[in-house]
Amino acid sequence: MNALKSIKIAALALTALAATNAAQAQEKLSLYNWGDYINPEVLTRFTEETGIEVSLDTYGSNEEMLAKIQAGASGYDIVFPSVHMHDIMSQLDLLAKTDIGSSPGFDNIDPQFVRASTDPNAEYCLPYAWGNVGIVYNKNKVDELSGWADLFELAKSGEKIILLDDPRETIGIGHILNGTSVNSTDEAEVVAAANVIKDNLENVSAFSYDSIPLVQSGDVAAAHWYVGANIFVQQNPDILEYIIPEEGATMYQEDMCVLKNAPNQANAKKFMEFYLKPEIAALNVEQQMNGTPNIPAQALIPSEIADNPSIYPPADVLSKLQIFEDLGQDLKLYNREWTAIKTAQ
Amino acid sequence: MISSKTNVDRRRIMLLGLLVPPTLFLLVFFIVPLTIMVIYSWLEPGLYGGVVWNFYDLNYGRILGWADSRYEKFDPVYLAIFFKSVRLALTTVLICLFVCYPAAFWISKMSDTKKNLFLFLVTLPFFVSLIVRLFAWVLILRPTGFLNQALMGTGLISEPLQIIFTDTAVIIGMTYVFIPFMFLPLYASIEKLDMSLLESSSDLGATRLQTFRRVILPLTLPGIIGGSIIVFIPALGNFIVPSLLGGAKVLMIGNLIEQQFLSARNWPFGSALGMIVMAAILVLLVYYVKMMTREDRLARTPSIKEVQ
Repeated sequence: MNALKSIKIAALALTALAATNAAQAQEKLSLYNWGDYINPEVLTRFTEETGIEVSLDTYGSNEEMLAKIQAGASGYDIVFPSVHMHDIMSQLDLLAKTDIGSSPGFDNIDPQFVRASTDPNAEYCLPYAWGNVGIVYNKNKVDELSGWADLFELAKSGEKIILLDDPRETIGIGHILNGTSVNSTDEAEVVAAANVIKDNLENVSAFSYDSIPLVQSGDVAAAHWYVGANIFVQQNPDILEYIIPEEGATMYQEDMCVLKNAPNQANAKKFMEFYLKPEIAALNVEQQMNGTPNIPAQALIPSEIADNPSIYPPADVLSKLQIFEDLGQDLKLYNREWTAIKTAQ
Repeated sequence: MISSKTNVDRRRIMLLGLLVPPTLFLLVFFIVPLTIMVIYSWLEPGLYGGVVWNFYDLNYGRILGWADSRYEKFDPVYLAIFFKSVRLALTTVLICLFVCYPAAFWISKMSDTKKNLFLFLVTLPFFVSLIVRLFAWVLILRPTGFLNQALMGTGLISEPLQIIFTDTAVIIGMTYVFIPFMFLPLYASIEKLDMSLLESSSDLGATRLQTFRRVILPLTLPGIIGGSIIVFIPALGNFIVPSLLGGAKVLMIGNLIEQQFLSARNWPFGSALGMIVMAAILVLLVYYVKMMTREDRLARTPSIKEVQ
């Protein structure tokens, strides 16, 4: 009798344990995002509101993320690809249909940001954030800088500059100066754009993403960097300045996508809907200092961000920003020229 | 009869138990990845990473000379990058050797407590992440960094030295990273050195230089070669140091391979480059093994020449 009873109790305990385990498994969400690309406060709020525990892993480039997902990294629910990578991932059938476009809060999103050609009705992904890629410079080293031509002039005068270690961004500068499209697949145009960089190579100190501390210390006068440089400009307004070059620049946009093999699809959808709320999008912008496609959110963000023309540029500047498209096979032209640039000296 | 049979069985089982784990380990962590790489290097690159299962020889064609199409063109630059990497790696090996050889002698002469302390100090850097240590070098080497401030403060130079983002910075960084790898094998062979041999050498009238050349150097040669190989191989494939301290302007073969797997999304070409590096290292290792077996033979057969 006693033995039977204890077995019963043990069985009960086991089922209870299994049940709590299942409940715990439901209460999870794992994000795979770019480094420092979401305000941690947003995640805290989400957990407070829904009780869902959020974990965050980070990557440094679209390709790194894609390679890891393709190699079978599983367990992630939400990724943040750029628009061209969103298209690629759609073609590779890696994304889950979420119907976020028909969610009630989706009216908040400016329709021009639903950019991915494979997802014209936002049935898969939610436009997350956008920004431009310009120049950050040290005001003690150079009084005024207005564009790419100035940047290379500055380099010629003996000051140091750093460009991004990214084939398309950096060859893109050549395209912008030559007046060709940053998505050109014409071999002659790509070579000509790469030659602009090669001609100035002697004066480029490095290709790097870690240039901000060097600009701040004055070791480097100016660097090719993202709009997020405004975070550092805000901390050191007397030293740093960030501009969108007058000749034009590139822009980027990341979308929030749910993976097809996401273990917590329902929670992922909840997070997307949570992020549609204007106050949450605004909370993210406050710390990230970048652009949000959420229209009502733009009224909620601090005025020093909303009125900063390098973050929310006027229409004529906006029209000069080009966004990268997926080039398929022709990416090889860019990689070939990139290797040529790196070995030209 | 029966007991001897079970004895043989037991021995067989023991042998099996001893051999299976290392064989499995090698199979899973060496043979399988290597096979994947060999196969991938002969396949067509997938448009978005991965591979298409078609035979494709242009990956090697791009490196060695027969590819000529819009997307796959032979370029001598890949071999040039390879030889540049060999040069940087060899320089690193030589500098590591010059630093570690005297240091190992010095430490081997100390009392046991001091010895242990210094050996611990040599391995201490492993406790801190490599990336953090390399960023520290950026702070040291940059124009307004510690090194330039110190040199300018003492009046040795008037203009800051331009070290960061050059080959020199890469060599400094790699030397720093690989010194423990050179030190430990060197120390092991120097520690074993029988000091009485040096005394007899000088008793027999050899000068210091002769003692070094004829006694110390041959006896510590295994450590020198072992350390050199252990430093050379990872230095050749290194990509973190050139991208942080070389500012990605110094391109080594490791960077090129990394680029193929990430931004270029060309896994087969990356594999082909990897195979070329591996082939070069294999040649080196075969040479090393041959030389070591010859050394062993020489050591076993007492030759009259040595006695003279």
